[in-house]
Amino acid sequence: MVKKQKVIYLDNEQQNKQDFDAIHKLQEELTKIDEFSIYTPDLQWFEQMVIQEQQKAKKKWRKELSFFMIIAFVILSGMIITIYQLPVLFMLLQIITTIFIAVYTSVRPLKKANHYE
Amino acid sequence: MGEREGYYRMDALIKDAKKGDHLAFAMLFRENYPFLVKYLMKITMNLDTAEEIAQETMAKCVQKIHLYNGQSKFTTWLVSIATNTYIDQCRKQKREKNWQGQEEVYRKLKWHLESRNEEWNDCLEALGNLSEEVRIPIILKHYYGYSYEEIGNWMNISPGTVKSRVHNGIKLVRRELKLGEETESHLPGQRTTK
Repeated sequence: MVKKQKVIYLDNEQQNKQDFDAIHKLQEELTKIDEFSIYTPDLQWFEQMVIQEQQKAKKKWRKELSFFMIIAFVILSGMIITIYQLPVLFMLLQIITTIFIAVYTSVRPLKKANHYE
Repeated sequence: MGEREGYYRMDALIKDAKKGDHLAFAMLFRENYPFLVKYLMKITMNLDTAEEIAQETMAKCVQKIHLYNGQSKFTTWLVSIATNTYIDQCRKQKREKNWQGQEEVYRKLKWHLESRNEEWNDCLEALGNLSEEVRIPIILKHYYGYSYEEIGNWMNISPGTVKSRVHNGIKLVRRELKLGEETESHLPGQRTTK
């Protein structure tokens, strides 16, 4: 038993040494890539790139905001129309939504609990 | 310039960049560009791809600078975004099925090294033959010294998975480098002793 353990210990040590050699060699070779001289564009190029990206981000934000506003407007106007024109439908929608939310929130934790069992 | 001075300078640049100052952004990027490209060259093994992903990484940084909390170094944050960007690109290319052979990818890097009278050796070849899922953790762990947790967070995998990928990757590199082949050939294939 003792003999076996010793063999494995030596074997592991040898493997570790080989791993260490491989890692050391890899590190040496990767250092060569770090010694490359990389062409770095001038400050203006970077500034231009940043300005372009900031403009793109602004455009995207404006687009998302207007999309959100349109959706909100459609939903709100729909609600107001139903309140004044079809109050019964409005009440029905309110009841259905409340039931749906109650069922959905109680079923989800149950599903999760079953999943972990 | 002292290290502390450099740190404060970097800190001031980040603060200004968060306010939307494009000159501060530009200075930050120019300072870190060689580091970023060289990191990407190691994981992509291709200069063109490295430059392309460096640009994409910087664009993402501009959009996400408000998420940088200063807890880690700025370079660490760059590495995390660059890693994610490269993994996304690989997935996209695999999906679109225009995945180039790895040999074709690193041919240019090979040429670059050889033009500097440096030898393209088995070691880089072995690293190039690994899939990016294995190559990236090996480089991040054993060259840059990041922890398994950090690497796992960036690659969206568990630290245990990172550890096993690094371990198996090193084994493959060792095999390609024929390190310890003689000793291994005398050993039985599997050890079952507890």
